[in-house]
Amino acid sequence: MARKGMVIDLKRCIGCNACTIACKAENATPPQVFWARVLEGEVGKYPSARRVFLPVLCNHCKNAPCLEVCPTGATHQREDGVILVDYDKCIGCRACMAACPYEARYFWENGRGYFPEGLTPFEEVGYRKFQRKVVQKCTLCAHRVDNGLEPACVATCPTNCRVFGDLDDPTSPVSRLISERRGFQLRAELGTDPSVYYVQ
Amino acid sequence: MDAGGEDTWVYSTCEQCNANCGIRVRRVGGVVVKIEGDPDCPHDWGRLCAKGLASLMSLYDPYRVTTPLKRTNPQKGLGVDPAWVEISWEEALDTVAQKLREIRETDPGGLIVVSWDNNVAAQMARPWASAFGTPEMHSDFSTYSCGIALHPLTYLTNGTFQQEIDLDYCRYCLLIGNQFGFGASINSTLMAQKMADARMRGLKVVVVDPVGSNAAAKADEWIPIRPGTDAALALVMVNLLLNEYHLYDAPFIAKHTNGAYLIDDAGNYVRDKRGGKPLVWDMEEERAVPFDAGAGKVALEGEFVVEGLPCRPAFQLLKEHVAKYTPETVADITTVPAETIRRIAREFGEAACIGATLVIKGVELPYRPAAAMPFKGVVAHRHATLSGLAVQLLNLVVGGMYAVGGYRGVNLIGPFSWWQPQAEADGLLVTPRQLGRGTDYYGFRVRPPETMGFAELLPLAIGPEAIMQLNFLEPERFQELPHKPLALIHCRHNFVMNSVNPEQMAEILRRIPFMVSFAVEMDETAEFADIVLPDCHQLERLNIFPNRLRINVSPLSGYYYWTIQQPVVSPRGQARSWRDVLIELADRAGFLPDFNIILNTTLELKEPYRLRGEEKYSYPDIADRWAKSIFGPQVGLDWFREHGCYRIERTVVETYPSANMTPRFPIYFEIVQRRGEEVRRVTEELGLPWDTSDYQALPDWKPCHAFQEDDPDYDLFVANYKIPIHFQTVTAKNPWLSEVAENHPYAYKILVNADTAKKKGIRDGDSIWVESVVGRVRGMAKATECIHPEVVGISGGFGAWAKGKPVARGKGAHFNTLLPLRPEQIDWISSAIDECVKVKIYKSQG
Repeated sequence: MARKGMVIDLKRCIGCNACTIACKAENATPPQVFWARVLEGEVGKYPSARRVFLPVLCNHCKNAPCLEVCPTGATHQREDGVILVDYDKCIGCRACMAACPYEARYFWENGRGYFPEGLTPFEEVGYRKFQRKVVQKCTLCAHRVDNGLEPACVATCPTNCRVFGDLDDPTSPVSRLISERRGFQLRAELGTDPSVYYVQ
Repeated sequence: MDAGGEDTWVYSTCEQCNANCGIRVRRVGGVVVKIEGDPDCPHDWGRLCAKGLASLMSLYDPYRVTTPLKRTNPQKGLGVDPAWVEISWEEALDTVAQKLREIRETDPGGLIVVSWDNNVAAQMARPWASAFGTPEMHSDFSTYSCGIALHPLTYLTNGTFQQEIDLDYCRYCLLIGNQFGFGASINSTLMAQKMADARMRGLKVVVVDPVGSNAAAKADEWIPIRPGTDAALALVMVNLLLNEYHLYDAPFIAKHTNGAYLIDDAGNYVRDKRGGKPLVWDMEEERAVPFDAGAGKVALEGEFVVEGLPCRPAFQLLKEHVAKYTPETVADITTVPAETIRRIAREFGEAACIGATLVIKGVELPYRPAAAMPFKGVVAHRHATLSGLAVQLLNLVVGGMYAVGGYRGVNLIGPFSWWQPQAEADGLLVTPRQLGRGTDYYGFRVRPPETMGFAELLPLAIGPEAIMQLNFLEPERFQELPHKPLALIHCRHNFVMNSVNPEQMAEILRRIPFMVSFAVEMDETAEFADIVLPDCHQLERLNIFPNRLRINVSPLSGYYYWTIQQPVVSPRGQARSWRDVLIELADRAGFLPDFNIILNTTLELKEPYRLRGEEKYSYPDIADRWAKSIFGPQVGLDWFREHGCYRIERTVVETYPSANMTPRFPIYFEIVQRRGEEVRRVTEELGLPWDTSDYQALPDWKPCHAFQEDDPDYDLFVANYKIPIHFQTVTAKNPWLSEVAENHPYAYKILVNADTAKKKGIRDGDSIWVESVVGRVRGMAKATECIHPEVVGISGGFGAWAKGKPVARGKGAHFNTLLPLRPEQIDWISSAIDECVKVKIYKSQG
């Protein structure tokens, strides 16, 4: 079975946050919930300083700490490596949030939307799939991937900095990119073995 | 159309910024659930930025204006409650139509129409204003927009409204005061793709900017520069290329510019006695001949005598002119070290591969893979035009204009051979008529003012905004205006925020007796209206061909293309497209026949699709006639509704007009000097105090007002810069984009260099004031290494205060509050406002 994964080319990324919003739109995530986001900081001293951008999402780790700590089996891993949360089984204990070293998980507390006046028609439709007081996170756009599409963040990226594919196939574009440009994983030393790789 | 049970995609065009990407919108059960780029549209090939993706949230914004409103509080001011009452469309239309009839009978030139809605403004509002009888149709009323000083100089140099770098082949690009390819500029989504690909291929990017922006983050080199000094940097580079490194394209300058034209001691062309044509020196025949006489070898350097008068080739003058800009003196001006200046000048010159050619699809073309790109930062100054022209000299001396890998204008050749590069009488490139106002530059007649902005005294501008505002603010300054401002109609242009200090804008608006705002939300400008009319959101509108060849159909896409913007859902409440309302108003105020007749010309409608004067047409009908006039009876409005984008592949020559170009580029801006003399003569005759000192044939760096600031308390410059998640004041009200900005380390903050902050006792996260002579703003300090130590950085068009925009309200600092409107801070060639402003910063108490 193919292991689904992603390579993010940090040389291409310009920090535009199209991925952040594509995810918001595709998955209708509630306020302060970002399944995809771009961390931004700076390195160096003036005048040799620059901003740096790091797009992050759930790493869909092969050895996922969230999976191990989930007491109910709500967090589960598909054969293709995608980690999902079954909201019906989640009891909102948030052990997974504490266990995740990537801060990729969110807890939707109050059920409120973006405007205090109430949910917009878009939110009415989009939030229906969620439940309050459970944990949610990036699904690697499983609903798209299962229909032959790329995840929304990959599809929209204006600089084409994200490549999606099969990590198990050594000839796939993701695998080639990882080997040719020495792909690395975030906090690899933890042994989580993320399915999201980066190249510089 | 809002029926349930459906799941469909609708083609349309994004309007969150001026790029206007092709999109497709998914509607499920009547609700818009997703916007994506249109994979078949060359504008973006299916990619879309954060702003475009987020626009469905503004569609459903509960604060939208959904009914016509009438003001009941006659007092107008910032924060003054207009005391709106809802009225019917019937009452609103009657009120406005009545006013229009009165003005049309008394002084039609007193009506001002303003819209930043590029599509409707150009297609419909301009003809509408003409039919009404007013010349005062402005795409901008803000003095501040990105291109007010940029487009005049692109017209003058590349012959088109726009500019771009040939990222398919460029190897070295110098971005000065802009973030081209990093989420900004023309076709931003396409350019981001192209720039990323080019960088992977080895393009070296050098960003010159006071702010360590997103572009600087990804550049091979960021060169921080003191604001207002870009011209000095460009001119010293030209000096080094010409006088020290001898890295310039002499054959290009001789054949494709006016560099060989002989110039007399007064700076004018030496002209042929008979035909009046400019002369060049034929080195083989050792005599002066007309520029187009086919001389084999012309002199670019030396001194000559023609008819007893001494003269020199323009290029010789340029060489001498720039010699005063040495790396050491310019280092003092710009803070860029002399060795850096020398290095980048040499890198740029060497990267240009002067003399090389490349064969593309069988066509041999000049290959100059180095380009310098000026944009907003370069021209945000008192001496905007001179600064921009200085940068353009870099592209000109290396022969990079329209070369493969170089710098170019956009659509110098039109589709279907609609237009071709053309020369004026002296052989220089003129803007094709279809590309806008630059067309008039060579034929312009400077004359006493006929319009309220004195456009007749601005021969090389695209609009008179700053002068117009000055005229309204201080009507006595230039004697009597040719018309009195009687009414203002505006749509989608929040100029109270987008211009100079809002108190000054408020005073200007108080002097206009009647104001109509078409509004999607109750923004800072609509708060000044007498009548507010609810406009449609972009996902509720029909517009055919929102992408315009003049503005944003990039040759880099490889195509010419046309798109549609069409309603995905029905308008909210009583919202109506402002364009439909214009048609209605023309009918009620009695000038619909004139409007129809003018549309026949402006849309170039052909039989059998031409409009008859006496009939009232709906916009869909007009759009259908327009499409069929271009593409034939099979490709009308319905075709576009179904397919979205119509595209035609470009030929090599349509992408690279340099292949067989005969019109010349100016390397010596004789037209600027000549027009300046005319402006000087006319204004002196009229007794108008008018600054004509920048009208010179060769650009200089001149210190702007901020450099003469003698109050030592104002010790820092303030700079406005762009972040890719927001556009002007348009997107701050969008909750998704605002949320990203709130979580962003820089977006809503005030950037202060870390060392500077330390010296002033300001810590990261402190609340600080930034104060100029005209106003002050407060925000949270961000101590950063990514900004010039003399500069305070404020991004975007933030700091909104309108009650109708609660999501945006009070977030970020409002840069324009710091900008004064005064004669010494206006570029008198382009009528742009000087944004080079000195400020002081201090901690906020409490």
